[in-house]
Amino acid sequence: MKIGFEIHEQLFTDQKLFCNCPTNYRDVPPNTNVCPVCTGMPGSKPSSPNEKAIDSAIEIALMLNCEIVVDKSIYIQRKHYDYPDLPNGYQRTSLPIAEDGELEDVGIREVHIEEDPGKYDPVQGKVDFNRSGIPLVEIVTDPDLSSPEQARDFLNTLIRTLEYSGRVRPEPSTLRADTNISLKGGNRVEVKNINSVKGAFRALKYEAMRQKRRKEVKRETRAFMEGQMITVPMRSKEVAEDYRNIPDPDILPIRIEGEKVEKIRAEMHEPPHLRRKRVIEKYDIDPAVADVLVTERGFVDLFEAVTDEVDPRFASHWFKDILRKVLNYKDMGPEDIPFSVDNLVELLKMVEREEITPEKGELILRKMVEDPKNPKKLLEELDLKAIDRGKLVSSVEKVIQENEEAVRDFRSGKKEALNFLAGQVMKVTEGKADPREAMNVLEERLDE
Amino acid sequence: MGEMNTLQKVEAIKSGELSTTENIEDKLETIEERDGEINAFIETNEDVLERAKEIDRKIERGEEVGKLAGLGIGIKSNINTKGLQATCASKTLEGYVSAYDAVVVERIREEDGIILGMNNMDEFACGSSGETSAFGPTKNPSAEDRIPGGSSSGGAAAVASGMCDLALGSDTGGSIRNPASHCGVVGLKPTYGLVPRQGLVDLSMSFDQIGPLSTDVSGAALLTEAIAGLNENESAMFDLESVNYLGEVEVALDGLKIGVSSKFRELTDPEIMDPIDEAVDYLRDQGAELVEVDLPNLEKAMPTFYLILSVEFFSATRKFDGRKYGRKIEEVCGEEVLRRIVRGKYISRKEFKGKYYQRALQIRTLIKKELTEALKKADVLVGPTVPKLPHELGEDISPGEMYAYDYLTVPANLGGLCAGVLPFGKVDGIPVGLQVQGPSLGEASVLNVMKALEKR
Amino acid sequence: MKDKNFDKIRESAEEILESFAEISEGLPSQEETYYEQDTLSVLRSDGKPSSKKDLEEFRKNFLKNMPDRDEEGNLKVEVAEWAK
Repeated sequence: MKIGFEIHEQLFTDQKLFCNCPTNYRDVPPNTNVCPVCTGMPGSKPSSPNEKAIDSAIEIALMLNCEIVVDKSIYIQRKHYDYPDLPNGYQRTSLPIAEDGELEDVGIREVHIEEDPGKYDPVQGKVDFNRSGIPLVEIVTDPDLSSPEQARDFLNTLIRTLEYSGRVRPEPSTLRADTNISLKGGNRVEVKNINSVKGAFRALKYEAMRQKRRKEVKRETRAFMEGQMITVPMRSKEVAEDYRNIPDPDILPIRIEGEKVEKIRAEMHEPPHLRRKRVIEKYDIDPAVADVLVTERGFVDLFEAVTDEVDPRFASHWFKDILRKVLNYKDMGPEDIPFSVDNLVELLKMVEREEITPEKGELILRKMVEDPKNPKKLLEELDLKAIDRGKLVSSVEKVIQENEEAVRDFRSGKKEALNFLAGQVMKVTEGKADPREAMNVLEERLDE
Repeated sequence: MGEMNTLQKVEAIKSGELSTTENIEDKLETIEERDGEINAFIETNEDVLERAKEIDRKIERGEEVGKLAGLGIGIKSNINTKGLQATCASKTLEGYVSAYDAVVVERIREEDGIILGMNNMDEFACGSSGETSAFGPTKNPSAEDRIPGGSSSGGAAAVASGMCDLALGSDTGGSIRNPASHCGVVGLKPTYGLVPRQGLVDLSMSFDQIGPLSTDVSGAALLTEAIAGLNENESAMFDLESVNYLGEVEVALDGLKIGVSSKFRELTDPEIMDPIDEAVDYLRDQGAELVEVDLPNLEKAMPTFYLILSVEFFSATRKFDGRKYGRKIEEVCGEEVLRRIVRGKYISRKEFKGKYYQRALQIRTLIKKELTEALKKADVLVGPTVPKLPHELGEDISPGEMYAYDYLTVPANLGGLCAGVLPFGKVDGIPVGLQVQGPSLGEASVLNVMKALEKR
Repeated sequence: MKDKNFDKIRESAEEILESFAEISEGLPSQEETYYEQDTLSVLRSDGKPSSKKDLEEFRKNFLKNMPDRDEEGNLKVEVAEWAK
């Protein structure tokens, strides 16, 4: 089985690729962030290409280990086909700006930039051009993947790498993928209309199955129907065979200088697989823990920010087991964290020095994501609500008095009775007791 | 208005000697009297008198006004003018009210020019006769029963008949110069990349250029000054902020090298060469040096040009799908427009790319080299504008015969030159235009020579 | 489109291709000229986007020219064949 991808992601710029329109297309009513250029009005002419878009594509290509095309004229082509979301009847797309890269043993054939079409709802028959003209990076892989599972993992790695670059739009799912799949010796089938990793996985699984069943697989382009999780043939009218590409006469070709590439290379972020490696070596942490740390660049950045003052191994486990859990529960990313690094360091130190229990630490953390104060202050606030030792002891004695049967059961060896009694202590103290402390006091008293 | 040239007229308006309102009223009257017959306008602007009064008030108050102050200007119907329709003389864009101003229109407004309306033209600029408009043909006010030429037919006819002071046309293969010659007015095709094309509906993106039509050279120079200069929001332009032709001291013809080519004579009807020869003789008598230049491949420019144009026009018209505005072009356009779309669609096929499109781009290089060489030996080239006299309006001629009008004008577009046309004599009562071609950004020399000849 | 007329147009469209083939025959190979200017690539810095005012003004005119639209301002077009 041979699987390859053509992946599109939106680049993170303030203006569109060939005009000055804003790029926040989701925040405004339909057809608001538009102008004569991105709506294909008669007589409209493109502006020169957005420099940040080109720089972003170069950086992404470098993260994918590509060779950048330097000192050569790179034409912006017109790729002609008829579709409602294409206001000019052609899409402006550049020739490769980079070639011959690699990610996790999958060949990256080339990287180029192109403009996003508008948003067409094929079922309702309506078009919104807010998105039209936003710069996209397209990454074309070699057909080096050999299973839908491998393809899914690869896509996740690729998306993470793009996230690390900081050069793609951070909003969710701007990913669009076309995939191609062929079974041994058979024809290649292309599948379009995939908008998620899950979708890619399902499309490939369906296609693999469909192709296996057929004696002869026709070479064609199919569309993935997300709802039904199947692929259907796209009418040949919708799939242009000859795009009649010409260099766009309105746009002078791009030339990338070696100097610019080196500058970008020097300033760019480390890709995730290298970050993971370095973090494991530098801090001597478990690979499995490192895997969790590098899921988002902001997360591992935060980790490295605390390692000056807190033991890295301890911090790494805490990040994996507790911080990650709390963030997931609150549906937050590292960029949403309201408290400062100092606050976090403070909290970690408190737990590291055993000034507070890990459970209390988690409680404070949960408070801190909503109320970003100094953790010592939050501890005070929590403890005020907690009961003092005297009250705890009298509560324990009360519970022992009132639950003679359970006490006898415990003394005769039934360990579960202790849990029952502990539960009663929590009930009596209205949950304000520290569970561990309560248990200690109980055990003490029962020993007598 | 006397024997003032356009520049003098503006000065008279600025000094209060002439009233803008009177000038515009005069133009409106002429339009009313004559346009029913000539059909130079597809749409006229309603608020012109308001605008005219505004400018007069400004002048009365002693405020500064722009370099086109008070002049009535016609705009070709393929140039976006907010509030007016940019129909391109086609049913495709009938009803399309320009959603924005072309940069040249913005600049005309800034210079206080008054836009009288949208001029008639050949449909989508696909023509050299003025007969293919979906809104009826335009008449030649200077030669009864003859075609006015095209594709800027309406602009040339409007200027020739006194309906406007200036007109804005577009030239891709001769579309300003051809009608200037037939109608007996002055026209200029500026160097590609000098004037912004933002807002001009494409015919052939590599060759299209907007330029002036006027009764005299000063008017052409004035309008070019007003519209030329870098537009930040366009890619293929010269990095020039502005140009200055009128302020330039006139260079004496003494020692100027005038290039002539036997090829011009070869391609042109002898009757047309008579006034051209006269002009050349006059220049020589004034002290210019005549230089014979070699243009062995000149006639190859025309078919080469049409091949590239067809590919580009096919691409340019893909946006006319009837979804966002107007109608689907293939469903409502005229024959010549369809012909170019079909041809373009055919030759831009992958398998023909090398044979036609790329080969044509090679010959373009050849022709460019030839013309550049010629313009190293000479400062300007002087010759005829059209190879034959304009045919009778409505006469049935083949597409090939129509393209043949372009033999002498296409090379300037293909070669990246600038070129102007000056009316110089008549044959059988039909105006003949003299063409002066200059190197890239050589407008000053071209206008200089034209001015010298105009004085005669 | 009337078929007979279309065929006639296609024929006449191809006439000039023959004359082109003729004239280009003897000529030497050259580099292709794609652009008038030799300028190196001109790029545009990413900056402040268009003002709300400019966007609103254009939107008004854009919507006015639409053959069909919905209340939110979407352009209404055909439904896709394969989605039917």
